[in-house]
Amino acid sequence: MIARAAAVAAVLALLLAPRVASPYLLTLLLPAFAYGIALLGLNLLFGTAGLLSFGHALFVALGAYTAAWLTTRAHVRALEVIVLAAAAVAAVIAVPVGLLCVRYVKIYFGMLTLAFGMLFYSFLYKFYALTGGDEGMRVLRPTLLGRAFAERDMVAFLTGPFYYYALALLAAAALVMWRIVRSPFGLSLRAIRENADKAAFVGVSVRRYRFYAFVIAGVFGGVGGALLAVPTGLADPQLAYWTHSGNLVFMLLLGGFQHFLGPIVGALCFLVLQDHVMSLTPYWRFAFGGLLAAIVIFLPGGLLSLLDRGRPA
Amino acid sequence: MRTTRRQFLALTVGATAAASTRLHVAPAFAQSGPVRLGVLAAKAGVLAPVGESGLRGVQWATDRINAAGGILGRRIELVIEEESSPKDTVERFRKLALHDKVDAVTGAISTGVGLALGPVAEEMKTIWLAWDATTQKGVEETIARPKYSFRSTDNECEAVMASILTARQWKGKFKTVAGINPDYSYGRDNWAAFLAIMKKYGIEVQVVSELWPKLGATDFTAHVAALGQARPDLIFSCHWAGDTPIFMKQAHGAGLTKSTRFVLTTGGGVHESLKKEFTPEGAILGYNTFYFEYARMSALGKEFVRWHAEKFKEWPNYESDHGYFTIVAYKAAVERAAKAAAGKWPAQDAIIQALEGVEAESLSGPRRYREDHIMEATFFQGTTTHKNKHDFVTIDPVETMTTKQIQKPSGVGLYDWINGWKV
Amino acid sequence: MLFLVAAGLQLVFGVQRILNLACGSFYALGAYTGVSAVTWALGHGLPASLFVLALLAGGLALAVIGPPLERLLSRIYDRDESFQLLLTFALVLMLEDVMRFVWGSAPVQLRGAYLVYGQVTVAGSTVPVYNLLVIAAGGAIALGMGLLLTRTRFGRIVRATAENREMAAALGVDMRRVYRRVFTLGVVLGTVGGALVIPATAAVSEMAIEVIVEAFAVVVIGGLGSMRGAAVGALIVGLLKAGAIATWPEVEMLAIYVVVIGVLVLRPAGLFAGATP
Repeated sequence: MIARAAAVAAVLALLLAPRVASPYLLTLLLPAFAYGIALLGLNLLFGTAGLLSFGHALFVALGAYTAAWLTTRAHVRALEVIVLAAAAVAAVIAVPVGLLCVRYVKIYFGMLTLAFGMLFYSFLYKFYALTGGDEGMRVLRPTLLGRAFAERDMVAFLTGPFYYYALALLAAAALVMWRIVRSPFGLSLRAIRENADKAAFVGVSVRRYRFYAFVIAGVFGGVGGALLAVPTGLADPQLAYWTHSGNLVFMLLLGGFQHFLGPIVGALCFLVLQDHVMSLTPYWRFAFGGLLAAIVIFLPGGLLSLLDRGRPA
Repeated sequence: MRTTRRQFLALTVGATAAASTRLHVAPAFAQSGPVRLGVLAAKAGVLAPVGESGLRGVQWATDRINAAGGILGRRIELVIEEESSPKDTVERFRKLALHDKVDAVTGAISTGVGLALGPVAEEMKTIWLAWDATTQKGVEETIARPKYSFRSTDNECEAVMASILTARQWKGKFKTVAGINPDYSYGRDNWAAFLAIMKKYGIEVQVVSELWPKLGATDFTAHVAALGQARPDLIFSCHWAGDTPIFMKQAHGAGLTKSTRFVLTTGGGVHESLKKEFTPEGAILGYNTFYFEYARMSALGKEFVRWHAEKFKEWPNYESDHGYFTIVAYKAAVERAAKAAAGKWPAQDAIIQALEGVEAESLSGPRRYREDHIMEATFFQGTTTHKNKHDFVTIDPVETMTTKQIQKPSGVGLYDWINGWKV
Repeated sequence: MLFLVAAGLQLVFGVQRILNLACGSFYALGAYTGVSAVTWALGHGLPASLFVLALLAGGLALAVIGPPLERLLSRIYDRDESFQLLLTFALVLMLEDVMRFVWGSAPVQLRGAYLVYGQVTVAGSTVPVYNLLVIAAGGAIALGMGLLLTRTRFGRIVRATAENREMAAALGVDMRRVYRRVFTLGVVLGTVGGALVIPATAAVSEMAIEVIVEAFAVVVIGGLGSMRGAAVGALIVGLLKAGAIATWPEVEMLAIYVVVIGVLVLRPAGLFAGATP
């Protein structure tokens, strides 16, 4: 009961935020929403299926570059089209990569995904005629549901219509993921994570299910990436670097990877924290490294696991 | 005590909202309060040394201006943020504009960041004075006629000047060339400019090797070996970061510095690391827009060099001058606009108009902003020599060229301009 | 030199099954410390030709950070391996800022030492003797490691533990001590590697992050858990890079990843399997 009330309160807070919060805070929340979507996918892979990918940034970058390419080269501005395209592109790439990666587990899976992420990074950097190289590719302002909101400047656009659009997208993504996790498919994934052999014994096709999870995670990553690129206005190769994947995992862990809302809480906290710490000290990496270490050692379930503690076993 | 999710989330949102509303309530932007200037300085990675340089220039300018009474009586207050990846730096810029409400932002060196910040400066309606990052694409693509962004000198200027010097001094003395340049837009643009200018001067060159190490590479053994095999008469390199001395060291170790001519367009940025033991004499070395031992340097420049050497035990490089100029240019523009506003603090549009065509004295001499928002400055390059009292090379004789000679004018493409030269 | 970092990675993984992302950071630490050590030693009268000793000393001295770090990692030995990856990632972040704090963000280079031993002409190209020295040192260390693992009692214990942890424990081996020593050895391999390369290049802040990817490539190609694999892997990666630069410089960046993926797909255990995936 309390959890539900809390969730409602949180949603209300987010809905009302554009009225009360400063424009800056709102622009800070936007990447949180985008990352939230991407992390929902990663959570499926890690929290539910038990596979830690160190290359998830690959799909985020794919989504961002899809958005860039569509708005600048193909002159498509409708965000709906962009999001769908990002999902499609991510799926297309996730299929071969997934087929290769899910053959392995744990360390090998992590390493292989890292390698693919870095391969894409090198590709983005090298094929500059296509991707813009180190300079990246611009992402122009999209239209929302066909409307351009041209009378508003970028800040008003971002903190108004776009904010609600992103929030709605996040909610939709969460809903979809909720259904997936609760479905027989999701339960099978959890079974596989617990004990792969046993699951196989019972007739669950381990590799196939992992593959599905990978592709779904990739799609969510792509959508998140497209959404992320709009406020930045640029898609650049850094998005695919392995440390970006590391940050994604960090966010997930911070929020709590076994909880459904872990990704969103993690993204929010990470970004707000990062914003404050970055302005405070140039040695913010140290602080964040320490935080990550502390979480891994003392609170591996993430922040949301704090809520579990109170609950009777 | 149970922390409920509701409390927790309310706490988070509330805390951050409170933190930001606090600034809402702070004294409104008063005409008599300090002038807030945001600074985007790189602190990590391959850009860190130049980011730090730029920051020092900005800080010295600010301290001197404040000591002399500030701008129209208002103190300058610097709000310093870090330049990192394009996405993060865009967020920092927004923070400076929305949260810290700065009057202008100075900084940014990397090409990706430069490309991203252009549109953002226009959106945020915040004046942005860049230190570097002026690529062909950056100038052409972002906004056709930027209002709020003011960019630095073109990235290709150094290659253009070095190529002209090469043509003048060594025409007929070399046939085969090799290029080893960092693998990104800067490297590619500079190498292409060099080849185009050689062609323009009618110098037949045969490219025997084209190498593209990653920016910031630390191991050039294979590259040096490839160069050794190719045996070029001349090696062209626009390396500007910490990889420059590493390359020279390893090239020297492989014996390349004995017989090959070197053109290092921007190596002067890391001049102190180009030690005499591995950097040969007779190479063309470029220092961008500031040479610390220029004989005809102004008193202002000399004072800066003295201050910098004493405080940091290092000799300054060009990025400090870029940083310095952005501050004094802003001050000059404000003062210029204030004349029309009866001495009161001018409106932002007036400041922007005053910035166009403003002239100010930088550490290396006079500079100005062109009407199209590109900087005009003087470039310093020369032939390396070991005859000095340092353990690293310097240049003698020193050639200077202004951007009128080596920077393409507004509205013209780089290669069209080169083709139109009369040599 | 990639071999040394990879060897460190191998060792720790083989025995403790931890994939240490921070091995690159040890390499970088060794590099920075090496410069400081030599500068200090030369300033205190060490003849230039002996600078290598100062380098080695610097690298070896860093062994002291092994035990406390290992103690930190030990907290999560029995957790999912993914957590180990994350903890070492945290280490990478922290160590990077530590290095930046101590040595600053500008590249740090060693003066004068590189060509102290002169140059030599081999097969038509001039090569500094120091380079050959480093290759020799690498080979010596490889041999040393091999001997250590096969001939000494410690080595046997290490191998036994790698094969079958429970059995070794049951036989009375003090796991904590073995782990501590193995980890420290892994650290030292990295730091010495970093120290030895430094005269030829410079220490920069991004070293750690970038060397990781190459070290991973070596380990994957050679096979996790095998020393010989690390050596062969390093050789292959080195040759690949040199080959790419000599023939088709544009693919320099990509070649390594393509091969890594190829190996992982075709022969996931690497060329010399020592552990099963």
